[in-house]
Amino acid sequence: MIRHIVRKEFTDMIRDGRFRWCSILVGSLLLVSLAHGWVQARKAHEEHAAAQATAREHWETQGEKNPHSAAHYGVYAFKPRLALSFVDEGVDPFTGTSVWLEAHRQNDFLLRPAQDATAAQRIGALTAAQVLQHLVPLLIILLTFGAFAGERERGTLRQLLATGVGWRELALGKALGTSGALALLLVPAALAGAAALVMANPGPVASPVARGVVLACVYLAYFVAFLALSLAVSARAKSARTALVFMLAVWVVNGLVAPRVAVDLSKWLYPTPSAFEFARTVEREMATGTETISRPDMTESNERLLAEHGVERVEDLPINAVGAYLQESEEFGNRIFDRNYGALWDTFRRQGLLQEALAAAAPSIAVRTLSMGLAGTDVEQHRHFATAAETYRRDLMRQMNGDMTQNSLTGDFSYAAGAELWESVPPLEYEAPSLGWVLGNRILSLAVLGAWLAGAVLLASAQVRRAEVA
Amino acid sequence: MTARTVLRNEWRLLMADRPLRIALGLFVVLLGYALTNGVVWLRFQERTVEATKSGNVERASALEQELEVIEAGGQPFSPFADPRSPLVLGGPSGSQTAVLAPGPLTALAIGQSDLLPYYYDVNVYTNESSFHQNGEVENPLNLMVGRFDLAFAVVYLLPLLVLALSFNVLSEEREQGTLALTLSQPVSARNVVTVKLAFRALLVVGIVLGVSLLGALATGGFGSPDRILLWSFTVVAYSLFWFMLAAWVNTLRRSSAWNATILVGAWLVLVVVLPAAINAAAGLLHPLPSRVEMITAQREASNEAVNRRSELLARYLEDHPEMAEGVVADEPGLGALSWAATDAVNRRLEEVAAEHDARRAEQIALVRRYRFLSPALLAQEVLLDAAGTSDARFAHFQSQVRAFAEQWREFFVPAILADEQMNASVPANVPRFGLADEGSTDVARRATVPLAVLGGLLALVSAAAGVGLGRVRGAD
Repeated sequence: MIRHIVRKEFTDMIRDGRFRWCSILVGSLLLVSLAHGWVQARKAHEEHAAAQATAREHWETQGEKNPHSAAHYGVYAFKPRLALSFVDEGVDPFTGTSVWLEAHRQNDFLLRPAQDATAAQRIGALTAAQVLQHLVPLLIILLTFGAFAGERERGTLRQLLATGVGWRELALGKALGTSGALALLLVPAALAGAAALVMANPGPVASPVARGVVLACVYLAYFVAFLALSLAVSARAKSARTALVFMLAVWVVNGLVAPRVAVDLSKWLYPTPSAFEFARTVEREMATGTETISRPDMTESNERLLAEHGVERVEDLPINAVGAYLQESEEFGNRIFDRNYGALWDTFRRQGLLQEALAAAAPSIAVRTLSMGLAGTDVEQHRHFATAAETYRRDLMRQMNGDMTQNSLTGDFSYAAGAELWESVPPLEYEAPSLGWVLGNRILSLAVLGAWLAGAVLLASAQVRRAEVA
Repeated sequence: MTARTVLRNEWRLLMADRPLRIALGLFVVLLGYALTNGVVWLRFQERTVEATKSGNVERASALEQELEVIEAGGQPFSPFADPRSPLVLGGPSGSQTAVLAPGPLTALAIGQSDLLPYYYDVNVYTNESSFHQNGEVENPLNLMVGRFDLAFAVVYLLPLLVLALSFNVLSEEREQGTLALTLSQPVSARNVVTVKLAFRALLVVGIVLGVSLLGALATGGFGSPDRILLWSFTVVAYSLFWFMLAAWVNTLRRSSAWNATILVGAWLVLVVVLPAAINAAAGLLHPLPSRVEMITAQREASNEAVNRRSELLARYLEDHPEMAEGVVADEPGLGALSWAATDAVNRRLEEVAAEHDARRAEQIALVRRYRFLSPALLAQEVLLDAAGTSDARFAHFQSQVRAFAEQWREFFVPAILADEQMNASVPANVPRFGLADEGSTDVARRATVPLAVLGGLLALVSAAAGVGLGRVRGAD
């Protein structure tokens, strides 16, 4: 029996002009956005790879100079585009793409692509993720709002039940029929996405295929939850119109209102300092230190070195005392940066977590979070790269100051190192976090999405059981 | 039956409809919330603006005091930052913060003000790369999602309320069988629908404008009445567009359910799908050049400049004979040499930036052509412009900062080249940044085309609705 229901629903759907047109629209938007994302990601990836290679070349061919001058010269790091970012560009347009790694200071990531675009782009960027998160659920609503309510209005529900079919079978049949019709649209897109993933230069990401599979599962769970919710409402609603209006309201709140309200709430609960305040605090602490982090003192540092080496004058030291002091102040600076940037990142993290929790009211937030996480374009993975770049900077400074300390004497400003030293610094090799790391960060969203899925399915089966025939 | 009777009946009917009452109430609550949000953001920006201003004063007076100490025979506080050097007094430690006050109606539309920098530290080293800044500290996630401000409520939610109020303005009467009765009175369908819609439009537009004016009143926005006028005009035109669309769909003689589906579909296409599709198409057809190449260019220019300082200085002096006074040609000071290198890098950066900006302008012009397809994009553009949080106002500010940096250089560079020493009287006489904000005529000029197109779209649907209503007969 259930086979017949599935086939009837499926045939209904694909013969329905409205469904055909909506599906063609959503399907082509999905394919266009995938193609768009792929082209963009590929271009960005090539650009960044080229820029990174040039930056390395600049470093290696900077000529002979004092290692500390080289430290000031520094290198640029460019954030790589990860393989799956073509599905979901996430926060990438709003984070900087490159950072200057230089002596004495941790710089911000600069050049946010969104700053070069117009306000119009903020009204809606068409990415595959946007289509999947917003348009596909809408299509599901349009397909299912009349599933029970419509049949009830037409009086065919009574006839149907008279054939002896159970409510549960009927609901399952309708769900499967709709899913089959949706699959006509989603499976080709998924295949296209998979093909693009294999064809594209995957970039530095661990297990892109596994990430892709989990991503597909997340969206599948979201769609099933929406399908179940919509069927439940259709079973419960007095008329098809009520079901449609209710589900549209859910859609507006879920996709449009709740995410923005969540942003405002998270900002009110966990405010960030102004850029001006932040810069001032760092500047002040760098100049005077804090209660627990004291600024290194050159005299003290020299005395310690003199005692260590058992000599009277800094000129007699076998090492360069200035190099040692520079490294000390570098480490002092690092503690100040860790303190301030750490606090800022933690505030961002708390804001993100609160928004994830608010997904309890709007599952689109959970899906969005998971989608960005798996695509490697969320704030946490930006932080991951920023931390890798900063660690690289610190190693580089240590190496430069170390060379200066060991290979020159105090007061010797003529010492110059050459290409040998520059080349001995390994290039920045970024390793993107593993799938486990990403999912570990996103347990809350996984739980909330799971709860929505389970809740929607339970609600659907409860409503269908209690549904009225007429 | 007069218009008054229709109005009175409409009010009674509306108040009797509980879901509609709830929707209206919810809309008011959301507008209030959006306004609060905008005000909080505005206050935050105002505090920062104040802080940058007092920072300017503090920096200048500290340098002045230090110079006085030195003139009285004291030592500079740091041997590496002797304020007598023009490269120090005019450099980063003496820099002046040029700041853009929040747009007059920022509380109504946060717009681009959370993304684009609204202050820059200007000193002799300010060049094109100085404009690559992040602006306010903000979680990228929040920037991505966007804020819940009045502009968002108007562009996205207002059409939904309009459609909920008017999708069945005529079809319901037909379905209830009251249409024939109504039209048996000495009124035309056009009149009835006009009065019904006028009543609803007054209600909706009244609420939105009421909240907007309240926001402007609370935040001093009345200082720019032209902007308020522009804002109000856009809100009215945009709402009327949706009312007229609903009226036209009602004349197609379909069921209320069909009307609702079509209108929601229209909202979806015009507000959600089209803007996104336009952005995607524009990005695909005319991709914006990336700034990454600028970093490489800057690096290469400065590498080269350092090695050719003397040659560059000679060329610089040839180009700027007015600066040559006081420079000893055979034995130029270190300041002059390093300035020549700095200048060469700046020139190269200007070239790269000009090239980039030209490409960007070209692409944005192409992208902006497509926006005529979507009333939502048009409305958003004018609303942000009216609020003073549009891209255009920030670009205007940036060009002023650029000019101010040139003024700053003109003040300090002769002294740098001549290795002159600065004294305590200098800090009081350095150039001051004064923003010449864009005038309301600039804003009005920019708004003309999008408003005209929006008006054209409105006229189009109104005409269609008018013709359709003329054909309505009670017996259908």
